[in-house]
Amino acid sequence: MLAVIPVRDGRLPLGGAETADECGGRAVLIGSGARDSAASVAGDLRCIETGEFRPAAWARALAALLADEAIIVLPSSADGRDLAPRLAAELERPLFTNAIHVSDTHVVMTRNGGLTMHTVTTPAHAIITLQVGSRGVDPPDFARTAATVLHDLTIDVDPMIRDADVAEVLEPDAASIDLAEAERIVGGGAGLEGQERFDDLARLGELLGASVGATRVITDRGWIEHQRQIGTTGVVVDPRLYIAFGISGAVQHTSGLGNPDHIVSVNTDASCPMMLRADLAVVADANTVLTELLTLLAPAAPGESSEPEPSNV
Amino acid sequence: MIAVCLKFSPPPGIGGRAPDGHGFDDRFDDRLGGVSPADRAALEVALRFGEATGNDVVAVSAGPLAVQRVLRDALACGATAARHIVAALERDSVDVAADLAAAVHGADMVVCGDYSLDRGSGSVPAFIAHHLGTAQALGLVDLDLDLPDSDGAGRGPLALRAIRRLDGGRREVLAVTTPCVVSVEGAVALDGTSVSLRRASLPGLVAAADAPIEQLAPAAHRSSTTVSHVSDFRPRARILGSPTGVVTLDRVRQLLDTGGSVAHGETVELDPRASAERIIESLRHWGYLS
Amino acid sequence: MSDASLPDTADPRAGNDVDVVVVGAGPAGSCAAITLARRGLRVLLLERGPFPGSKNMYGGVVYPRILDQLIPQWWEEMPVQRWITRRTTMVLTDTQALSVDFRTEAWGTAPYNGATAFRPDFDHWLAGHAEAAGARLLCSTTATGLLRDTAGTVIGVTTDRPNGDVRARVVIACDGVNSFLAKESGLHAKPDPANYTLGVKETLALPKDVIDERFGVRGTDGVDIEILGGTSGVNGGGFIYTNFDTIAVGVVLKLPKLAAQQRRPEDIIAGLKAHSAIAPLVEGGELKEYSAHLIPEAGLAMMPQLVGAGLLVAGDAAAMCLAAGIWLEGVNFAMASGMYAGEAAAEAIGRGDVSVNGLAGYRKRLDDTFVLRDHRKLRRAPALVLSDRVQHMYPQLIAGVAEGMFRVDNPAPKPGLRKLLATERKRAGVRRRDLIRDGWAGFRTFG
Ligand SMILES: Cc1cc2nc3c(=O)[nH]c(=O)nc-3n(C[C@H](O)[C@H](O)[C@H](O)COP(=O)(O)OP(=O)(O)OC[C@H]3O[C@@H](n4cnc5c(N)ncnc54)[C@H](O)[C@@H]3O)c2cc1C
Ligand SMILES: Cc1cc2nc3c(=O)[nH]c(=O)nc-3n(C[C@H](O)[C@H](O)[C@H](O)COP(=O)(O)OP(=O)(O)OC[C@H]3O[C@@H](n4cnc5c(N)ncnc54)[C@H](O)[C@@H]3O)c2cc1C
Ligand SMILES: Nc1ncnc2c1ncn2[C@@H]1O[C@H](COP(=O)(O)O)[C@@H](O)[C@H]1O
Repeated sequence: MLAVIPVRDGRLPLGGAETADECGGRAVLIGSGARDSAASVAGDLRCIETGEFRPAAWARALAALLADEAIIVLPSSADGRDLAPRLAAELERPLFTNAIHVSDTHVVMTRNGGLTMHTVTTPAHAIITLQVGSRGVDPPDFARTAATVLHDLTIDVDPMIRDADVAEVLEPDAASIDLAEAERIVGGGAGLEGQERFDDLARLGELLGASVGATRVITDRGWIEHQRQIGTTGVVVDPRLYIAFGISGAVQHTSGLGNPDHIVSVNTDASCPMMLRADLAVVADANTVLTELLTLLAPAAPGESSEPEPSNV
Repeated sequence: MIAVCLKFSPPPGIGGRAPDGHGFDDRFDDRLGGVSPADRAALEVALRFGEATGNDVVAVSAGPLAVQRVLRDALACGATAARHIVAALERDSVDVAADLAAAVHGADMVVCGDYSLDRGSGSVPAFIAHHLGTAQALGLVDLDLDLPDSDGAGRGPLALRAIRRLDGGRREVLAVTTPCVVSVEGAVALDGTSVSLRRASLPGLVAAADAPIEQLAPAAHRSSTTVSHVSDFRPRARILGSPTGVVTLDRVRQLLDTGGSVAHGETVELDPRASAERIIESLRHWGYLS
Repeated sequence: MSDASLPDTADPRAGNDVDVVVVGAGPAGSCAAITLARRGLRVLLLERGPFPGSKNMYGGVVYPRILDQLIPQWWEEMPVQRWITRRTTMVLTDTQALSVDFRTEAWGTAPYNGATAFRPDFDHWLAGHAEAAGARLLCSTTATGLLRDTAGTVIGVTTDRPNGDVRARVVIACDGVNSFLAKESGLHAKPDPANYTLGVKETLALPKDVIDERFGVRGTDGVDIEILGGTSGVNGGGFIYTNFDTIAVGVVLKLPKLAAQQRRPEDIIAGLKAHSAIAPLVEGGELKEYSAHLIPEAGLAMMPQLVGAGLLVAGDAAAMCLAAGIWLEGVNFAMASGMYAGEAAAEAIGRGDVSVNGLAGYRKRLDDTFVLRDHRKLRRAPALVLSDRVQHMYPQLIAGVAEGMFRVDNPAPKPGLRKLLATERKRAGVRRRDLIRDGWAGFRTFG
């Protein structure tokens, strides 16, 4: 098995190290700053320095180079997801996506938004994308680190092949940074019944000093801006406290969650992954619990008292 | 012509999975299931581009008869024509894409969703781009159409400015010219405001009920991969990072903590008020509230 | 860009001008549409849900005999869970149960009597017949109001779709128990909560063979159990019936009582399920669905005017549901009234007179058939069955007598029935006068 990892500016993509580990350290690092990115992986590494991301052209060039590789694994990061099908098409091989396990005999993939798993027999030749966060990285192995070998390779990227031009790369905006750096996060999922609930969630966030995050189901509905999406295709966060309201805990979400010290999950389904992962799993309707939390935590507004005000109107 | 690819998926567990848990049943019922939010957004994007450039909008879907429901919905919303590739539901995305590419041949722009509800790989649009030999711009969160002066609309290549999501909250601004394949996220913004699929008018709905849908046969492909086993999701046992920290107890705790795939907490079932109180109590106990 | 400014793909008037608009693709609406479309009229059938039946309670027992007139051999194609071949009527007190159990093989073969069916399947199937007959079904489309001409005659409906006004010669409101159209038309008097009961139901999954064994049935045979008592002191009744591999357990509760007692309907179902006579039947069932819905139960007492100029009201919208104690029949009344509304509308359109007079054939048909005859006959039943005595005292009395009869209390000799009756009557706190009066009322009502 060989990992193909598209890198940018000397940085590994999400899931890059995991993918290399899944392939026992045999990896091709391709992109800008390929050699720099190699610092964070150990094994038998080949670095291909190219310019900006060009999935179609890279795939054509890589196909020539990798024709003899049986199983090629890419991370399901933004670039991995775009490159893998082009490579599979060039090599005329089957593509297996969102895999959580790859072995000589079987590939296990998630389907239906992470609810189900499909298992297929590993064919002789295939391209596979590995679901970010499904595996974890190997503990540092001094023998492997010591034995790390780096080769530089060059490929011919055909300028005639049509790819989109990269005009610029935008750094994370305020909302994403806020979330990525937050110590405390309150998250909302499809168990919350309406957009107004996200106003409630924001108020709870203010009361707890927490930032607000959400699942893709919610950002897709436009109930909250997509910068607030936590997960593999959203922001990767690393809070100490995570409070999840009506979130099932699909891998694509939890793999962006880091490793919080404390997780609270409010969900009507006691056996969903988010509940299994929680330190405090509350089986209840997330909407009413949210309302109750606001009533309990909200400081009484100044001037508001239980005595009826004398009416002078 | 602008093409939009819509994938109709059965709901998980219903219809899609054969009764014995193996393989797939194609005869699912079109009442349940639907298209992904991303596909709904794709349809709206295609319709807006069609309107802005005076292009026809052709909706295409590959699958069993039930997919005609989404094609009719697309027609009701204003698509000019619909093409149905009559095929099994569960085929390798490369084969699906080859048929879609043949069906949309000559399109200036092919708009797809970022993911289908069931497969969810986002690979079909990339395969379509391969088959058509065009550029791809996938997973877009923002899309602008730089229309040349109005008289130039509909002729010559169009330039698009697209924003694609990268890892870690970064985004990439792409410049693409037609012909191209784009895929959009469910809340994609068009010229700065996020789109949502329009509601079909009543006359549109009535007309769509009788509108012809062109049926196409799929090309012969090598047989698709067979799924040997379908099961509910269970996380894979995760590899443990080596413990860090000075205190031994911390290192031991890290070793015992399997990265979250195992229950280690407390489950309570309480009424809403008591639940809220219980949560606050824990937050106090953990030191997040004084 | 707003919806309204979108160019239409079709002639804006196409489809917006039909002979009849039927609002609601439930049993009433579909039968109206089938009837009309088969007579060559242009029919638009509007349904608020994404498909017919999607918004309806998950299932029930339906008695489709009336379909003989619309879909001969309906039993060969109707989506059925189980055919009811066994009916049990049960009287419960807190600790006792008395059942009358009836079985017949006749109901397990064509032409059958009644069956359990899932409404999403049943309604979808029936609406399919309307479409096949030529009616046009539009889903996810809600009628929002009536269009009238200057004389006040209804000439169409407005909907929640862009460009959504539809003109028609007759509108048939089949929009269910909360009929907004009947209210808007002024045909309905102000709704009185006392006239409604709340139906709540749980659907529980159990393996088919477990159901077969617990309920003593085989194959596609099924059971319908109606229960008096067991509703934790709230006036009402309960029911259990078997689907293929689920069972439904529910209660029907009188609204004012429920409100007065501040009880949650879920708790009352839980109480019923915990009863020693019920628990063994439902044990281990996995909750699949919980649903609640209003039932118009006062029958004739709350029926609106059924006809307005250009407008007919059918099914639950017209309070046609027969909810009288051991009967809970709504679907058959809805199908029949829909069919008759269709016939009357076709007739009126044929004559070119859609005034109240021109549409009078509807009321006449209802009067002449079971629809209103049953309602007239059972008009006192709801009040009687839901009265405090029938609800709280008689179950005690009946179960007490039964327990006395069957108890072996040696060395005491067996008690005589008359004496037993007298003791139990006193114990249950029933006055003799009331017993006689209720007995007579029961005889007049059901006899
Ligand atoms: C390639 C790919 C990338 C993806 N990237 C991401 C990503 O970056 N981020 C992300 O979040 N997702 C991502 N997804 C989607 C992901 O797989 C899941 O579909 C999504 O995370 C589910 O969101 P959810 O938990 O809100 O919804 P659901 O899975 O629908 O869960 C809703 C939960 O709410 C509970 N619930 C329902 N009603 C109530 C109530 N009244 N009270 C309490 N609880 C209730 C339910 O029991 C359920 O557990 C991706 C998927 C794919 C295929
Ligand atoms: C708990 C419970 C148990 C029952 N059990 C039984 C039983 O066992 N057997 C039995 O025969 N009956 C039973 N009934 C009664 C039965 O369900 C009704 O009498 C029957 O459904 C009435 O049919 P309908 O067509 O009049 O109305 P509905 O079935 O209510 O159909 C009305 C339709 O109109 C649609 N609609 C409503 N408003 C609009 C609008 N503005 N625009 C467009 N569409 C609209 C709705 O979505 C719906 O599809 C039960 C009822 C309850 C509540
Ligand atoms: N069978 C299909 N018919 C039409 N379009 C499809 C089909 N499968 C996938 N697509 C399109 O490709 C996108 C990504 O799908 P997928 O690769 O399955 O996640 C979808 O959002 C659709 O736009």
